Amino acid sequence: MNSSSHNPMSQDSAKPNEPAHTVDATLQLIARLPVPEGLEDRIHAKLRTAPRRGSLLAWPMLPKFADTGWMRTAAAAAIVVVVAGGGWSVYSRVERPQPARVIMMPAAGPASGGFSSAGAMRTPTTLNAPVLKHPVKKSATKAKKAKTAGPGGQSTAVSNPLDSIAAPAVK
Amino acid sequence: MSTSQAICAGWMEIPNSAGAEEASTEQVEATLAALVSQHSGTLYRVAYSVLRNAADAEDAVQEAFLRVLRHRGTLHEVRDYRVWLIRIVWNVVLDRKRRQKTRPETDDVADLARVLPVEGLSAEERAAAAQHHAHVLGCVDQLPPKERQVLLLSAFDELSSVEIASVLDITESSVRSRLFRARNLMADLLNHARSLR
Repeated sequence: MNSSSHNPMSQDSAKPNEPAHTVDATLQLIARLPVPEGLEDRIHAKLRTAPRRGSLLAWPMLPKFADTGWMRTAAAAAIVVVVAGGGWSVYSRVERPQPARVIMMPAAGPASGGFSSAGAMRTPTTLNAPVLKHPVKKSATKAKKAKTAGPGGQSTAVSNPLDSIAAPAVK
Repeated sequence: MSTSQAICAGWMEIPNSAGAEEASTEQVEATLAALVSQHSGTLYRVAYSVLRNAADAEDAVQEAFLRVLRHRGTLHEVRDYRVWLIRIVWNVVLDRKRRQKTRPETDDVADLARVLPVEGLSAEERAAAAQHHAHVLGCVDQLPPKERQVLLLSAFDELSSVEIASVLDITESSVRSRLFRARNLMADLLNHARSLR
């Protein structure tokens, strides 16, 4: 055995260090303790009384070729399949709870004066839309008048043709 | 009731391939007996170094051999039985230590006084020695677990640093560094205790 694999304490204990020697003395005292009498016999007795095998029971009438590992595995798998199948059949027969019927309540409208509309829909009466009276022709004549008033003069006519669109003449 | 009747009745196990199995069982039992006679002493001391109680240490050794018996099928795979057994008993002992409550130092003193070698020591000297050793072991208990474990195992002359590393499942350099730290910490603890007196 090479030097590196020797007991590390035996190498370090060569140092003249008092606490280290104290520790070594105590620990080596324990490491060299006398073994109690009859320890081996008691261990042998314990091993003799220990259960030799697991609690795996053999099937008494089974032929020898069937008493193998794969046969046991197959039997275990069959048991698992039967238990799982039984569980599934029970689960599939159980009537599932029906979803609760939901009755839609009319939404409460904003309370106005303490009366409700009782769900009645108000249909507004449609009015006749305003009729546009040829705005393009009129604006062309107004632009002609503005041109005759001159560039520096104040014009009363609508300078921007878009204004006429924005404010159409209502009959 | 004969064996065949008992087997048919269903309460006795059927022996599989009788001849070869009996031979291997005998071989395993012989190996186990040899292991007990060779290593039970070392295992007891290893267990005692942690548990500090003779009865607990003996129980731990018995439990370790029971574990060996349970895994007797893998006996032929083991390369070094001594290190393997020490590792088993070490795990058993650490489990027990974790479960049991902290023992008072007076118990250690009493047990040490009982197991100390008595040659050339008067009763007073023996009591004083037991108290001193119990104090040192109390300081050992204050070490961090990793350092403490290496220090305890390194006290066994029959264990090399490689074997300690194998028992603790660490590298050899870790064993050395932990032992160095453990020694320094122990020196500090003992000097501190001395200065308080």
